[in-house]
Amino acid sequence: MKRTVSASLSAPASRSLKARTLLALGLALTLPLASAQSARQSTLVIGGDFSDLITLDPGVSYEFTGSLVTGNLYDTLVGFEGNDLSKVRPRLASSWKVTPTATGSQIAFTLRSAKFSTGRPVTAADVVYSMNRVISLKSPSSFLLTDVANLKVGSVTAPNANTVVFSIPKTANPNIVLALLTFNVGGILDSTEAKAHEQNGDFGSAWLRDHSAGSGPFVLNRWDRSSQVALDSNPNAFRRSVNIKRVILRYMLESSAQQTAMNSGEIDVAWDYTPDAFNAALGNSKLKALKTSTFQMAYLGMNSAKGQPFEDPRLREAVRYAIDQDGIIKSLLQGLGRKVQTIIPLGLAGSNPALPYSYDPAKAKALLAAAGKPNGFDVDFLVSTGSCSGGVPCQDLAAKVQSDLAKVGIRANIKQMVNAELLTAYRAQKAPLIQVAWSPDYPDADGNGTPLADYNAKSLAWRNSWSDPAASKLAQSAAVEIDQSKRIALYKQLTELVVKSGPYAILYQPYKPVVTGASVVGFVRNANGDVQFEKIAKK
Amino acid sequence: MREGGGQFLLIYILRRLALMVFVLWGVTLAAFVISHVVPADPAAAALGNNAREEQLQDFRVKNGLDKPQVVQYAVYMGKLFQGDLGVSLRTQAPIAADLRQFFPATLELTLVAVVFAVLIGLPLGLIAALRHNRAPDLLARIFALIGGATPVYWLAILALNVFHERLGWLPGPGRIDAYSLAPPVRTGLVTIDALLAHDPEVFVDALRHLILPGLVLGAFSAALLTRMTRSAMLEVLGQDYIRTARAKGLPGGRVVWKHALRNASLPILTVLGSLFGSLLTGAVLTETIFSWPGIGGYATSSAVSLDFPAVMGVTLVAGLAYSLVNLLVDLLYVGFDPRVSYA
Amino acid sequence: MTAAPMLASARSLFTDRRSTLRKLLRNPGAVVGLVLLALLLVAALLLPPLLGSPLEQNLGVRLSAPSTAHLLGTDQLGRDVLSRVANGARLSLGLGFTVMLTSLVIGLVVGLLAGLLGGWWDEALMRLTDIFLAFPGLILAMAISAALGPSLLNVMIAVALVSWPTYARLIRAQVLSLREREFIDAARALGAAQGRVALRHLLPNSVAPLLVQASFDVGSAILTAAGLGFIGFGAQPPTPEWGAMVSETRNYISQAPWASSTPALAILATVLAFNLIGDGLRDVLDPRSR
Repeated sequence: MKRTVSASLSAPASRSLKARTLLALGLALTLPLASAQSARQSTLVIGGDFSDLITLDPGVSYEFTGSLVTGNLYDTLVGFEGNDLSKVRPRLASSWKVTPTATGSQIAFTLRSAKFSTGRPVTAADVVYSMNRVISLKSPSSFLLTDVANLKVGSVTAPNANTVVFSIPKTANPNIVLALLTFNVGGILDSTEAKAHEQNGDFGSAWLRDHSAGSGPFVLNRWDRSSQVALDSNPNAFRRSVNIKRVILRYMLESSAQQTAMNSGEIDVAWDYTPDAFNAALGNSKLKALKTSTFQMAYLGMNSAKGQPFEDPRLREAVRYAIDQDGIIKSLLQGLGRKVQTIIPLGLAGSNPALPYSYDPAKAKALLAAAGKPNGFDVDFLVSTGSCSGGVPCQDLAAKVQSDLAKVGIRANIKQMVNAELLTAYRAQKAPLIQVAWSPDYPDADGNGTPLADYNAKSLAWRNSWSDPAASKLAQSAAVEIDQSKRIALYKQLTELVVKSGPYAILYQPYKPVVTGASVVGFVRNANGDVQFEKIAKK
Repeated sequence: MREGGGQFLLIYILRRLALMVFVLWGVTLAAFVISHVVPADPAAAALGNNAREEQLQDFRVKNGLDKPQVVQYAVYMGKLFQGDLGVSLRTQAPIAADLRQFFPATLELTLVAVVFAVLIGLPLGLIAALRHNRAPDLLARIFALIGGATPVYWLAILALNVFHERLGWLPGPGRIDAYSLAPPVRTGLVTIDALLAHDPEVFVDALRHLILPGLVLGAFSAALLTRMTRSAMLEVLGQDYIRTARAKGLPGGRVVWKHALRNASLPILTVLGSLFGSLLTGAVLTETIFSWPGIGGYATSSAVSLDFPAVMGVTLVAGLAYSLVNLLVDLLYVGFDPRVSYA
Repeated sequence: MTAAPMLASARSLFTDRRSTLRKLLRNPGAVVGLVLLALLLVAALLLPPLLGSPLEQNLGVRLSAPSTAHLLGTDQLGRDVLSRVANGARLSLGLGFTVMLTSLVIGLVVGLLAGLLGGWWDEALMRLTDIFLAFPGLILAMAISAALGPSLLNVMIAVALVSWPTYARLIRAQVLSLREREFIDAARALGAAQGRVALRHLLPNSVAPLLVQASFDVGSAILTAAGLGFIGFGAQPPTPEWGAMVSETRNYISQAPWASSTPALAILATVLAFNLIGDGLRDVLDPRSR
């Protein structure tokens, strides 16, 4: 008896509940679509491999993705506009003056009136705090301020609320300092906010890893690691973002996933197209395929120490004649690289577009014979795993290089290893032949000049055991030379010297392929890797 | 429960737990030893190409890499007891925090995979056993064989290409669409979090994104389950008491479901441990392809970057989970089957 | 005196084997497996000298579809896919067998010691086995490979270290169960030494489950090694290793599906073959242990 009664009561009740839920679900699914559309229009979605992102603290961040994001969360005193990297423009500083002093030089910046996302005004004290914390934190990018700009705590002072003075010693070049300050390491943060979140003297670094306190056009909404970074527009910013209200950087590690997502419209920008896919995108009217410049350099390092295979400079020249650069750029990179043979990247003042080495295997063989190796020789060839610059898999590039070298008698034995292990061997001067890429730490000729030419800098020249006093002297003088035309002349001499007898065989200067939807306008990625999100719109 | 069986069970459980603790200790020692055979310099790994020597040295000192191995091990074990698995050289974040963040994604995926595996494997195995040596049996066996031999990462690539790119039936990699903002994290399971945030759109989106990876991940397990169910059912169906029940005229369906299935569930249980193992393995191989921010992808990225603290951390956690599951399975086995003794 | 009985027991193995072999050939699954394996062996051993080089690049014909010049097309560097897969077969089959034999030997030694010596030795060795079995195979293999560095040899070491515990347990179980058997007692009563007992009586009787396990093990080793190759450990480029091949070409799945599918199908076929053979062996030799 009881059972039947409750059964009859529950059946219709549960049925109508089910129906109501379904109706609600149906409505819920359809109604938000309208508002979702407009939200989609003002949301910029970028798909890419952002797994190098470690922190969003501008004073600590050193990787490409970190710079990309912090550049939009924080303002620097000066910056570059669009693609023009030759002139530093005002940003948080409305003007500045460089004056020589007894001990070197001095840059006095006048700040514009600006507000942080927290609502507080940007003051000179914030600038001083931001600089001092970088110097004290000893982060991976601190050396830019301490070693290159030779600043110390106390070098940066604030005579009043909107003036900041940098005292630079003689050993540093104020023009380089200006260029350095465009980097994320020069990002100005809200000192009050940072101090409020300080733990164990970390200058707020732990909190700033995934929170933002800047005056830039965007604020950090959230960072779900390995998943997405979401930025919302900052209403207090002077670089206001008019069209884009939200930017989502979506982790998509597979290039093919990015390609599919671009085609379906799920993302607006793809960061890691392969050269083949990029080529296909060029012919697709629904996409815009952009060849953006970089200052990167893919090269072969040849160990020139005594007893090493490349001790004889003729053998190094032979390698330069043996590499089929055109083949690499045309087939492997599908045109996504520039042919360059000198050590200063194209696009920087001081670069040298000369191409003294044509593809000449016969000449290479002759040089080998002249150096006493008519039957060639064997050499271990260290290569990284993963993707190399330009989007080409490192092993494919290595296989091509190996094949080119084999044609002149150099038998390169590929040893592919994880980047970490590769770098360890390289730093220990133990890599006989290595395929690597280099990117200057700051957009200035010296960013490559010193590391590649000066043995004493314990950088690339040192790793390849190449010590040339003339080159070192040229690099050092050019670094501090203030007169621009004298500087360019010095770099011409330096690049000519290195291209003749240096330990490098430069493969190419890659373009970074970026693919956007046809409706995305105003997307510019400069050679530094910066993208100003506030300038973008979706038509 | 049998008379006095309770104490034996307790002793058994305690012994197994003690054994597990010992094994895990051995595991930490082995993992520590392995990770210090490394030729690469973890400082260089973490700080990258352009770092200067002083920074590398700072890093080494900060992470205790310059102390003797024995000291490092003691420090490691001490921290372990506090739940501190160290700091990842790659992400610079505490590994325990990393694992806690990435674990729910794998959990969500694994749950869906298990559901698919059971929904596909059990019925297939049953049908195969009931229609022994006929067409359905043959098809089920072929499925089981191929499912067990296919490299799961290729299945993932293929499935994505066919069902997402070419046919457009299912969404692509990721847990939700790229332009959607994930709901605030409460449980870490996007589906549940979306419901909690009253966001049915994201809920449905998350479910749709779970289908393809869930199927791919569940495929190997489904194959395993099919084989096991089939052989277990065959064994039971061949038993005398089943034939007797049938001869007695009991309806066929009742016979199957009540007696056969219950008795077959025991051997099926035994495969749960390997099921879990295959799910973990599958997660490692497929999460990267599906851009799934879980433990598997974390393990792969850590191994490839030679981030040993992280590799050790993941391996330990995987070992712990695997041991626990196996222990659970053994206990269930003992609990289920009154015939099994565990003295 | 010792030679004759040993020969007799060896011969008995073969006579048993012959009927075992006949039974195996009546098992349809096993036949398919054997045929598949035979084809793979032919491909691995006979094809490579006939085909072009697996390393030769021809950038002009990258990612080209199967044609008369390249029966299974070319990969992203213009290398012949069929040649690479056939050469990869040699590598993978060699790896599978070597790993199986290595782990078999290690497992044999450990299992025999544990079973025969008993007591403290047994406990210690079994705990060691437990430690290795506490992980899913690939994860432990990945940790070991990551520690040792990417190379074919290191992957083989890693996979062998992951596989031996199963053999150890198997042997030990055999030893323990056979120890109870009367004929062992009889032999011991007659004064035979432990070692001889082991070799002459225990081993021949353990062959069945070992053979079954070995067959599955080869397939499993190849699958695990390919998985590690996919991640990036294992044979280094440009050496053609199946897992690495699938990984290298995965971004071209739309334009050139043959480049990644051929090595993947090769892995599938190989593992399938060994699994079928293992199933067949189990049906024939040890039907109770399904």
